[in-house]
Amino acid sequence: MSWSLSVRCSSWLYLVIFSKSVIRNICLGLCLSRASASVLNLNCSLILLPMCRTLLAYLRGSQKVPSRRTRRLLDKSRTFHITCGVTICIFSGVHVAAHLVNALSFSVNYSEDFVELNAARYQDEDPRKLLFTTVPGLTGVCMVVVLFLMITASTYAIRVSNYDIFWYTHNLFFVFYMLLMLHVSGGLLKYQTNLDTHPPGCINLNRTSSQNISLPEYFSEHFHEPFPEGFSKSEEFAQNTFVKICVEEPRFQANFPQTWLWISGPLCLYCAERLYRYIRSNKPVTIISVISHPSDVMEIRMVKENFKARPGQYIILHCPSVSALENHPFTLTMCPTETKSTFGVHLKIVGDWTERFRDLLLPPSSQDSEILPFIQSRNYPKLYIDGPFGSPFEESLNYEVSLCVAGGIGVTPFASILNTLLDDWKPYKLRRLYFIWVCRDIQSFCWFADLLCVLHNKFWQENRPDYVNIQLYLSRTDGIQIIGEKYHILNSRLFIGRPRWKLLFDEIAKCNRGKTVGVFCCGPNSLSKTLHKLSNQNNSYGTRFEYNKESFS
Amino acid sequence: MGQIEWAMWANEQALASGLILITGGIVATAGRFTQWYFGAYSIVAGVFVCLLEYPRGKRKKGSTMERCGQKYMTAVVKLFGPLTRNYYIRAVLHLLLSVPAGFLLATILGTACLAIASGIYLLAAVRGEQWTPIEPKPQERPQVGGTIKQPPSNPPPRPPAEARKKPSEEEAAAEGPSAGPQDNPIPVTDDVV
Repeated sequence: MSWSLSVRCSSWLYLVIFSKSVIRNICLGLCLSRASASVLNLNCSLILLPMCRTLLAYLRGSQKVPSRRTRRLLDKSRTFHITCGVTICIFSGVHVAAHLVNALSFSVNYSEDFVELNAARYQDEDPRKLLFTTVPGLTGVCMVVVLFLMITASTYAIRVSNYDIFWYTHNLFFVFYMLLMLHVSGGLLKYQTNLDTHPPGCINLNRTSSQNISLPEYFSEHFHEPFPEGFSKSEEFAQNTFVKICVEEPRFQANFPQTWLWISGPLCLYCAERLYRYIRSNKPVTIISVISHPSDVMEIRMVKENFKARPGQYIILHCPSVSALENHPFTLTMCPTETKSTFGVHLKIVGDWTERFRDLLLPPSSQDSEILPFIQSRNYPKLYIDGPFGSPFEESLNYEVSLCVAGGIGVTPFASILNTLLDDWKPYKLRRLYFIWVCRDIQSFCWFADLLCVLHNKFWQENRPDYVNIQLYLSRTDGIQIIGEKYHILNSRLFIGRPRWKLLFDEIAKCNRGKTVGVFCCGPNSLSKTLHKLSNQNNSYGTRFEYNKESFS
Repeated sequence: MGQIEWAMWANEQALASGLILITGGIVATAGRFTQWYFGAYSIVAGVFVCLLEYPRGKRKKGSTMERCGQKYMTAVVKLFGPLTRNYYIRAVLHLLLSVPAGFLLATILGTACLAIASGIYLLAAVRGEQWTPIEPKPQERPQVGGTIKQPPSNPPPRPPAEARKKPSEEEAAAEGPSAGPQDNPIPVTDDVV
């Protein structure tokens, strides 16, 4: 959608300029560069908007956005950002190529008549000098270098393998924007200030006739008054009423840089949001307890005053003792409620940051024991959190029927949903939840086995046994196949092997005819793709499956 | 920061610079600028750099994403042995390739980008990284019948797997699975309840 918008914008501008000017050999370069500049204006301003995460989280939760379709658009914010980035990259290429051609043309076609309009300072000035000694040229070259660094570090392969490089180079965007502001302040584009005393195409009586002939054909970069269509020299001499006499020499003044108007809004918004996030996250949290779970998972429970979060949201943890510059996102598994203000996250220990974090919180000697005594709390490192930020999983409470599929540690967003339902399920629209959890290791189910059992018992007591339908799948077929002695509810719902999705979807469709089922998946990409494909297929029961996609890095 | 593999980023940069060089070279030769032969050189250098940088090197830790169809170029690049493995040589090579393109306006950006890539390769070389080709994994032949386990030798009720293993190990040590006298873990009665 944004791509077509950019293309339409640029082609419109191109046609406008093209039709309003007489063809000269410098026109193609100028037209292309002006058109691509307008596309770049649009994209540079739009690209910042999806990154205002607090604003998006607020929009998602506010009453002002009632339509589910609009909220689903917010899910695509990262994709939109990437699309804008790619567009900027392509049109920068066009812009640079066009300007390189222009630089050559300006030096070759230096005009003696309109000295102020020339970009070159004298005839046949070396275009390389033009590039490096003018403000727009130099800032343009620097911007291309910055853009080159940012784009090469943003490819999928780099993001997956070395996220640090991506993160640190991407922060150069601020330098890019400063250079952009300087780039357009060079005053290269000018408009004529005295159009009434020197209208275009007027005859200067002091000049020779040959110079007069060349005047109307000269393309000067002013957009206010178009040349009359189909203007030609013979017409002018034939119809004296159209002849105007120049009273004075044309005067030109630099255009106000339009780019400043385009990018100042989003840039200010983004800076305000970063400032707000910084202030909000400046106060450290108080860690209440640290629990070690099987299969390399650690749970941290903490409190912070004035912290409110909705189920499904995530926070970003920053621990200066572990790493001064890195911060990592984790989904909340327990949200603060009116009665208790404790919230928690479950972290899986993969990678060096989580390993060092675990070593700080759970000293290696006591990693075998389950829960640390409260006395240890004064040795906990300082932890700062940023957030909460929204995610598509918040939407699962707004469907009447939801299908939530979790793969391994991907159960965390759904854990917060289950905790919320445990607290009070009546205020939400959700009336039936299908919860499918696929794990490789039987011990992983112990992370939330208690929660699932308590929830099941609660709904059984309230006479709503079909509210939550739990299915657990153990994808590794060898090894122990029982979760634990006391979890017979879960043991009887445990299946060995991978789920058969088509049958599952058919069963859900049959039981919920004509309804819209929200499908949520947090797990490996292959699982997500399978579910997406199945959700888009039609079924004979009239049930509609809406797939809500979460995009991770 | 200590775990960053710079070579991967330098590889992406060099590939992008190669493409920029080719584009600049096309603009220069098509527009018949003065000194257009620099443009022709730039196209050739760009193609060479792209071919050299197309196969991605293997990461030290974790799996590496291959570029589409890179195994053919991997075989060619592997042939040169230490010339392509060593990143110092690559850094110097890219620096030398980038210099002639700097004389022409259309290709000057390619020069700048390739010079930056050469700098990052130097950094990677200083940190001791090397280019290792990504080998195709040998195909694991599915062993027919490997997953078929022996059917249980005892009728139900059967104790869980751990308790079952010990008597069967002793039986295997005694050479020959013999259906000896059945030891029921739970007393079995014939009464109909």
